[in-house]
Amino acid sequence: MSKEDSSPEIVRLLQQLNKSIEFVNAKLDNLIDLQESLTQILSPSKKPSYEGLPLDVATLLSLPDHLRKTALALTEVSEATATDISMKTGRVRAAESDYLNQLVTKGYVRKKRKGHDVYFFVEAK
Amino acid sequence: MTKTIALHSYKGGTGKTSVSANLAALYASRGHDVCLFDYDFRAPSLQVLFKTKIRNTLNDFLEERCEINDALHDVSEKYQTKGHLYIGFASSSTDSMREMMAKDRKWEMKALHRTLSAKNELCNDGRADFVIFDTSPGVSYSSINALAASDFVILVSKMDEFDMEGTKEIVRGIYQSLGRKTGLLLNRIPTEQFPLGAGQKELEEYMSKLFNLPFLGIIPCYCDIQASGGKYLFAVEQPKHPFSQALSEVIDRMEKLLRTV
Repeated sequence: MSKEDSSPEIVRLLQQLNKSIEFVNAKLDNLIDLQESLTQILSPSKKPSYEGLPLDVATLLSLPDHLRKTALALTEVSEATATDISMKTGRVRAAESDYLNQLVTKGYVRKKRKGHDVYFFVEAK
Repeated sequence: MTKTIALHSYKGGTGKTSVSANLAALYASRGHDVCLFDYDFRAPSLQVLFKTKIRNTLNDFLEERCEINDALHDVSEKYQTKGHLYIGFASSSTDSMREMMAKDRKWEMKALHRTLSAKNELCNDGRADFVIFDTSPGVSYSSINALAASDFVILVSKMDEFDMEGTKEIVRGIYQSLGRKTGLLLNRIPTEQFPLGAGQKELEEYMSKLFNLPFLGIIPCYCDIQASGGKYLFAVEQPKHPFSQALSEVIDRMEKLLRTV
């Protein structure tokens, strides 16, 4: 196969790979949600993950660098998916999904599901 | 696309308010639409310079008593600038200043979101080419909220040791932590001690290396500006004044840096 012939095939394979990664990411988000629900059922005494801690600038400055970058990007928008944040930070979606969920666990960020997508947001009210 | 610039310093008395007001006026004179916000809620001073009837303040906006457009005051006609020059004033009543001191972290988080939404609104409706924040010195919530909402920080410093040591620390601890691009501006430089001219390039290189920041300029200490007590907007009232000329050069130097933010 010549170089010219192989280019469209490579593009097609990359698109297919991208779709597969998106599918896996969606499944991983579902698993994280399920795990949190199960934790609530099995340990009802445990506080819900969101404690409503303020994500003010002093908190932002105290976060480790990798979480601060994610938190700052989220602060600049009203709500965002991990993909939206990865486009702002230039880091991969999987890493941003992990960092956003860490911020949820720490109680600074909340999340909600809209169809297939998980949206993260800071409750400023 | 709207560019947001914050002027900040480690210590007070570096001339941030003078520089920010004149910078805003210069941009407006060049035909840009500019919003200048007084985010020095501990010691507001833009009302002294612009002397206009204030309807709503930025305090009202942050407290959700009005929208951002209600807190903007158009002074373009007064100064006959080509572009619009809008000013957002901080309340100068002692009650308001005391109230701002007593705010908790949740309120400050809300203030950050209000600040960011104001910036986005001004950007989206195309009302401003530049949003400029004049901040209070050192580390205060309102200043860091303004820095977090900005694309670029002008760090204003004098040449004294106290100022420079603290300045190095806030560069590392705040600007770099927030990932904000920063440029250094030396202001109120006594030319008897630091003669400009032939030695200026060496001084610029030394300071730029010391702070590891791009250099925006050196503005000497002008007695007539000190004597005016903040009554005049030199950039539009005396455009040939060396202070106005020096600020004009600062804008030219910043242009290249702003393209990358």
